[in-house]
Amino acid sequence: MSDLAFATAAVPARLPVEYNEAIVKKFLIASVFWGIVAFLVGIYLATELCWPSFNLGLSFLNFGRLRPVHTSAGIFAFGGNALFATSLYVVQRTCRTRLFGGDALADFLFWGYNFFIVMAALSYVLGYSRSQEYSEPEWHITLFLVLVWVLYAVVFIGTLLLREEPHIYVANWFYLAFILTVAVLVLGNNAELPVSVFSAKSYVVYSGVQNALVQWWYGHNAVGFFLTAGFLGMMYYFIPKQANRPIYSYRLSIVHFWSLIFLYIWAGPHHLHWTSLPDWTQTLGMAFSIMLWMPSWGGMINGLMTLSGAWDKLRTDPALRFSVTAVGFYGMSTFEGPMMSIRDVNALSHYTDWTIGHVHSGVLGWVAFISFGAFYYLVPALWKRSGIYSSRLIAWHYWIATLGIVFYISSMWVAGIMQGLMWRAYDQFGFLQYSFAESVVAVHPYYVIRLLGGLLFLIGALIMVYNLIMTVRSPSTARQEATLPSGVAVAGG
Amino acid sequence: MVIRHEWIEKNAILMLVLVLVVISVGGIVEIVPLFTIETTVEHVQGVRPYSPLELKGRDIYVREGCYLCHSQQIRALKDEVERYGHYSLAAESMYDHPFQWGSKRIGPDLARVGGKYSNDWHYAHLMNPQALVPESLMPHYAFLAATPLDYEYVADNMRTLRTLGVPYTDEEIVKAKDDLEAQAKPDADTADLLKRYAKAVSVPGNGRQPTELDALVAYLQVLGTMVNFADTTTEQLQQ
Amino acid sequence: MEIQVSDLLVGLLVLVLGLVGLYLASGALDDEIYIFGLGLALFAAVFDIGLVKRHYDRMQAAQAEAKRHV
Repeated sequence: MSDLAFATAAVPARLPVEYNEAIVKKFLIASVFWGIVAFLVGIYLATELCWPSFNLGLSFLNFGRLRPVHTSAGIFAFGGNALFATSLYVVQRTCRTRLFGGDALADFLFWGYNFFIVMAALSYVLGYSRSQEYSEPEWHITLFLVLVWVLYAVVFIGTLLLREEPHIYVANWFYLAFILTVAVLVLGNNAELPVSVFSAKSYVVYSGVQNALVQWWYGHNAVGFFLTAGFLGMMYYFIPKQANRPIYSYRLSIVHFWSLIFLYIWAGPHHLHWTSLPDWTQTLGMAFSIMLWMPSWGGMINGLMTLSGAWDKLRTDPALRFSVTAVGFYGMSTFEGPMMSIRDVNALSHYTDWTIGHVHSGVLGWVAFISFGAFYYLVPALWKRSGIYSSRLIAWHYWIATLGIVFYISSMWVAGIMQGLMWRAYDQFGFLQYSFAESVVAVHPYYVIRLLGGLLFLIGALIMVYNLIMTVRSPSTARQEATLPSGVAVAGG
Repeated sequence: MVIRHEWIEKNAILMLVLVLVVISVGGIVEIVPLFTIETTVEHVQGVRPYSPLELKGRDIYVREGCYLCHSQQIRALKDEVERYGHYSLAAESMYDHPFQWGSKRIGPDLARVGGKYSNDWHYAHLMNPQALVPESLMPHYAFLAATPLDYEYVADNMRTLRTLGVPYTDEEIVKAKDDLEAQAKPDADTADLLKRYAKAVSVPGNGRQPTELDALVAYLQVLGTMVNFADTTTEQLQQ
Repeated sequence: MEIQVSDLLVGLLVLVLGLVGLYLASGALDDEIYIFGLGLALFAAVFDIGLVKRHYDRMQAAQAEAKRHV
């Protein structure tokens, strides 16, 4: 049954469901809070890279200990709380069922997950890390996360099983894949032996080349499932809601969902081109990464074309602008990624700032923007306000943040390609032309521009924080009667 | 016969199972053969487990996040081999739990930094990188010199690694603390140590307690030195 | 007022977590496990006290509601 039919089918009169919205509010507030923290830490790191004296000679502030604080805060604290907030909101409404498991369990998810985040960040600055990217927390913290995650799966799947709607809505396919796959990845990558149950230090079961591939099987799919599939779930709910249109193509959602989750897993080796990973593995990773372009753009097309017949809303609804721009950046990043997965392109890009630029076009342009779009929808809905406090401030946020992203990624493209070219440059006598240190000097101006880009992004986010707080507290957004905020379609209530 | 997606959409357990099956394929196909194909780790001579002092130094390298700025993997590319030395072999990191190949070069690759600089250079550089390389973006690690090395349980670390397949002998585990002290004291008799750990580099130390900086320098000085490439044949390097 | 079974189970689980935390902190060989163990214990205490408080708050609110309808 197509989503259009689903959206407009006559809904029989039913008792209103009392959804657990308190938990969604908590996760949303946490996500916004941690987002600001993540951006601030990122800015401090960027400053350290421009002027290393900012490391201050202090162990707990130096780049090496602080960087995982930034990546964990951005991915797990900001992104993770946003995924919890939206997945628990969406699963209830699209299933027409209150969250499974009761209030205490939901609260444990919230407090437990955020406890995990605080403990992880604290451990890094104290000097405990597995040194595996996006998988740095030591065994004891990861074990606690696994407990929280299993309960998250129980709550989400339990809600699906108790649903009143016969069909599982497409957003939930993506959320489900995200929850399940992250569990598999975390367990697989964290096979390790602590030196003692009373010691935070552990040694991972894998070593060398096998460890490298397990790590990047994990690392790439942390991107693919945590940062992509989960947020596609967000897209599939909030864009149709904000645009008041059904999803463009049911068939496309099926094809791109299954092919995306199948293909993504294979992409890990593109992080290891030209290394001592065997050639056959590198080639498989490259081939599947290129194929991955298709289902990714399938998602982009489905999201963008949902706007058909409603493009004028981009002029009038600045929050929708965030969501749609997010999908545009998603398309850009998922084109750039396959390009960078090609061995000969990767020979230039690996180890350079081009990779950093690519990451941030994805996390700022796609992940953050789709989350902002969802927040601007959710805050009035959850706090029962008539709308966002200031539409103009959303527009200011949008343009400042977008400018920030443009500065960030273009400075990193230039820096990265410059590094790559300098490292491989030969002079007319056949000697390497540049010392490594010369490449460090050359990229300094671009590091300053990147810092500026990050600052702009933070300023935009602070504008959002003000706007959201005012939305909740200002008398100007109080609802006059029992009207719902605009953009709420029939399907899902 | 057509499989209707509708059936999957109406059955959460079926969807769950199918998702798990679909996402398992790629990992199994790519990862399992790396354990079963015997030539994945090249058959070269010389790679040995880290000495106790090097191991403590490595643990410090890991916890300080050095991998975030420094790679330890020289790629099979002409300019890279020329700048850093022979491209890295899988065998060279076979005992590395965890691997430290890195993914970003804010500083140079360290895969073959062992022996390239004197101990004194390393001490000076780690204390204040800009004093030796003015353009450097590296933080100061002077705090490592002020921190005594806690090596009370180094034998336990080695035992844990042995459980994971690193071939430490009983003798090496029993003599762990002795070997560490022998490597960290300038005038110690290192003959015994070198029997167990070829090419282990003694670090000056301050004559008193080994510090965390001593351990880190000992680790850095062994990087990339284990395999003698003059003796390897092409067949040995094939994967 | 009925205590939800799920709420009781969560409360018990968290209690166990708190005890695990204390156990880890008691034998901690490094600062990190010590802090984590104590952190878990504190988390468990605050969470479970919060659960109990909410139960009684709801009970009192329900009683007040019932009184108003008499």
